[in-house]
Amino acid sequence: MIALDPNVKNRPEWINVRVRRQDAPGQEPYWELHKIAYEPELNVITILQRIAAQATTSDGKKVNPVTWDCGCLEEVCGSCTMVINGKVRQSCSALVDTLMKEDPDELVLEPMSKFPVIRDLMVDRKRLFRGLQKVKAWVPVDSYYNMGAGERILMDDQEQNYPLSQCMSCGCCLEACPQYTKVELVREEGESDEAFEERQNKAHDEAFVGANAISQAVLFNNHPTGKSLAGERLDALMGPGGIAACGNAQNCVSVCPKEIPLTTSIAKAGRSTTIHAIKKWFEK
Amino acid sequence: MSAATTSSASGTSVSAGTAFFTQHEFAIRRVHSLLGLVPLGLYMVVHLTTNASLLNGSETFQRAVFLIHSPGKLLPLIEWAFIFLPLIFHAVIGVWIAKTANYNDGHYKFVNNKRYVWQRWTGVIAMVYLFFHILHLHGWFHADLYLAVIQPVGFGQFKPYNAASTLVAAMQGYFWPAFYLIGVWACVYHLANGLWTAGITWGLWISPTAQERATKVCVAIGIGLAVVGTSAWYAAVAPGEAEIAEYDAIEDRMYEASVEAGLVSPNPHKRTENSDSE
Repeated sequence: MIALDPNVKNRPEWINVRVRRQDAPGQEPYWELHKIAYEPELNVITILQRIAAQATTSDGKKVNPVTWDCGCLEEVCGSCTMVINGKVRQSCSALVDTLMKEDPDELVLEPMSKFPVIRDLMVDRKRLFRGLQKVKAWVPVDSYYNMGAGERILMDDQEQNYPLSQCMSCGCCLEACPQYTKVELVREEGESDEAFEERQNKAHDEAFVGANAISQAVLFNNHPTGKSLAGERLDALMGPGGIAACGNAQNCVSVCPKEIPLTTSIAKAGRSTTIHAIKKWFEK
Repeated sequence: MSAATTSSASGTSVSAGTAFFTQHEFAIRRVHSLLGLVPLGLYMVVHLTTNASLLNGSETFQRAVFLIHSPGKLLPLIEWAFIFLPLIFHAVIGVWIAKTANYNDGHYKFVNNKRYVWQRWTGVIAMVYLFFHILHLHGWFHADLYLAVIQPVGFGQFKPYNAASTLVAAMQGYFWPAFYLIGVWACVYHLANGLWTAGITWGLWISPTAQERATKVCVAIGIGLAVVGTSAWYAAVAPGEAEIAEYDAIEDRMYEASVEAGLVSPNPHKRTENSDSE
């Protein structure tokens, strides 16, 4: 454990935490203020645990514990991503002492705005995973036969691919992207699970895939076995909801917690689709 | 494709136009990007440079305008095919792009995010500016009946065979000069920054280092173009009544001589009223 900074005096007694809550999908969101006794070295997850434990707002009203999503608690799973003090990040690695330097008055927690809210700070990131399916972000190795050892990957390619492989599908790049717009469908009366799922998939496929999927397409197109699907991935990127929707605001690369060179991937995909389009144009 | 047959209820909300756009977004956006550079960006550079040539004197400017008008009857076709239609396409798609953006520069104050917002704002400003700029000087159309309506209210003011004098006369007062200065600067930013984003879109500059270098080049081009554009603006705004008369005399002399030499096709519509009667 890191020792407390002895130079910091007058530590606050309380931390005000303002939470944007929502009881169920499609319901009106509302704000709630919670007061937590200050302790040094807290992260936002601990704050949320304290809120759950006391389940009482600052004016003494008993409420249901705030719901949130988390998994690894070490910034590799991406599930605890939320908007903290107006900026998207993981709540496990968001340290309260640092946040209080930004805003000493209060800590503001909101769910990501680009995904449908399930409850409170928990969102449905289905569209993000649909995007990965759309660009076939995998290496196709399914076969009945032993295909032998894979092709050697050059050191140069490894160095390019490793940073891209660190993506944890957290959704920060999508939350900060001004071109990525929320898609939230409401289930119709008497609609079956399959029909609703199909309607969701269709809507997700037509909407922008975003930086993470583009970057994964670039990663697998640069893999010796993965590149056998390169044409299909580029077709997906040139299709509805593909790379064309990128507006080059470059927020994705600025907010990525893993510092993945997303805009480099986007420009690479831009070049590949340019070449792919010209080739297809003349081969038809 | 099975989705279309099974979910008929959702199909009603999506219009045919949106469906076409979604299906062909890649091609439409790439055409939008290309048209912004060629012909529109290229045309803007030539246009601003030609206008800045007025600083050297009205002869230089008039000679350039004579050259531009040398295609004669073909000129409207060239204007519509290479300037107006690309401009309208670029503007329509551009408005859609600007309207569908979720601006978040309040929370994410990164330079590139601000550039993204300015690109859309300058695009909208440029569109409004260019619509009125073309109406004000060119008039958009040249049918006599139409011109008889717009000219008395101060539009369609430019006469190419009396280039400098009609231009300067149309740019008197305070409203138009201010309008033009804002418009020209918006166009310059939009082109310089658009060149940078096009380079990423088409995959010309890829790495952050390359993009940073490209930014420097685009800033240099933007500053250069702003200087040329502001010079062009100044050349049209600074002269007064005395210069208008002086320019007019020079233009009439050049017109007579050029018609005599067969360099210009005579056309009274491209001259000022008083020149017609002489």
